[in-house]
Amino acid sequence: MEENDYSIVRAVLAGDKEAYGALVARHSQSVFRVAFRITGDEADAEEVVQEAFLRGYQRLQSFESRSQFGTWIYRITVNCALNMMTKRKVEATHQIAEEADPSQHQVQVADSAADPERLLMSREIESMQKAAMHNLTATEQTAFVLRHMEDRSTEEIAAALHIAPNAAKQAVFRAVQKLRRSLAPLRTNA
Amino acid sequence: MNHLTEDELVEHYYGEAPADVEHHLHECDTCAEAYTVLRQDLASIKPSVVPMRDASYGDQVWQSLRSSLPAYEQQKKQKRHWLHFNLLQGLSYAAACIVLIAAAFLAGRQWEHRQHPNLQSAANNPSAQQPIILVVLGDHLDRSERLLVELNHANDTGAIMPVKAEAQDLLSANRLYRASATRAGDPQLTAALDRLERVLVEIVNEPEGSSPSQLARLQKEMNTDGLLFEVRVLRSRIPDQQKSSAVRTKGVSI
Repeated sequence: MEENDYSIVRAVLAGDKEAYGALVARHSQSVFRVAFRITGDEADAEEVVQEAFLRGYQRLQSFESRSQFGTWIYRITVNCALNMMTKRKVEATHQIAEEADPSQHQVQVADSAADPERLLMSREIESMQKAAMHNLTATEQTAFVLRHMEDRSTEEIAAALHIAPNAAKQAVFRAVQKLRRSLAPLRTNA
Repeated sequence: MNHLTEDELVEHYYGEAPADVEHHLHECDTCAEAYTVLRQDLASIKPSVVPMRDASYGDQVWQSLRSSLPAYEQQKKQKRHWLHFNLLQGLSYAAACIVLIAAAFLAGRQWEHRQHPNLQSAANNPSAQQPIILVVLGDHLDRSERLLVELNHANDTGAIMPVKAEAQDLLSANRLYRASATRAGDPQLTAALDRLERVLVEIVNEPEGSSPSQLARLQKEMNTDGLLFEVRVLRSRIPDQQKSSAVRTKGVSI
């Protein structure tokens, strides 16, 4: 239905502001999904969604008809989410550092067999993964989410982050290295 | 055998490695084992569960945005205004460039005049124009002198004809030289050319077939002998003036 997207964009540019509502309704779910995966927080994701559609409206004249609106707004969302991540990481550096202590988690997940304990272990694993993700830089985390969870190619990641393909590839490599190092205690206790 | 790096294994996991990586993994147990561990590690990182959003979520987002979005027509006008501002800015830059070029041209001219002040003064100085007049006048006086000599020795009717033709030719030139001499402020030359002009007019107006007695009367009335002497004095004056003026007005004298 991308043809409809084009006609809506033309209508908006011709002065029909309300037509943009149809584009928001059509793409808000996918935009929220990628925003949440990158930020990992529901409230932040909602903020990113609003910011992305606002920027999309303001830059609609630069939208080229040869690309799809969905792809275009996706890239804007990734950028907004990346900005949000950078801001949040600056705000919460110390808190994350304390939670990301792998030795603590290694002790907590050891020697567990009963179901309540398995449930606890599952939560601990999730917590460790979150902490490991927070140890990444904003670019590494976004590149890894796009590669690992959104199945985006290196070229797509590079385009979304406005970096060279090789830089995008290196960001994914560094993210994988750091994550494996952070999650190594899970492997030894599995 | 070179083993695969972690980066190559990661590339292979995400399906972006070259084909020979797959081939290597079949042959190398070490790399195959490393790849198995990597695959387990990455597989353990599950995508986080995205909270569901109901069907009205898009409308909610739109309602929260729509009040803060200006209609696009206004934005177009703003852009036009911005373009207009840029056009004005461009024009002002162009005007500034023109003023700069004009200033540079005028400064160049001033500099040139200061470097060669003689050229300008020579063009405006009447005394500098005098050598030009005198040099050209020298030729005129030569011809006038010859004419007066011929007139003084014209004793028969047939001799007056070529003198009349020459006088006619000299008359118009003489008027111009007289006017120039007046403007140049040379009363002696002006007076001599004035008398010469009157003689030339008389010669031109002399009827054809004038008798020798009529010619003698003209020579006497007009004192052509005195005029001839005066012309010779003027002729002798010219080379000295020309020489001294040529020194003063370098490059202008002919």
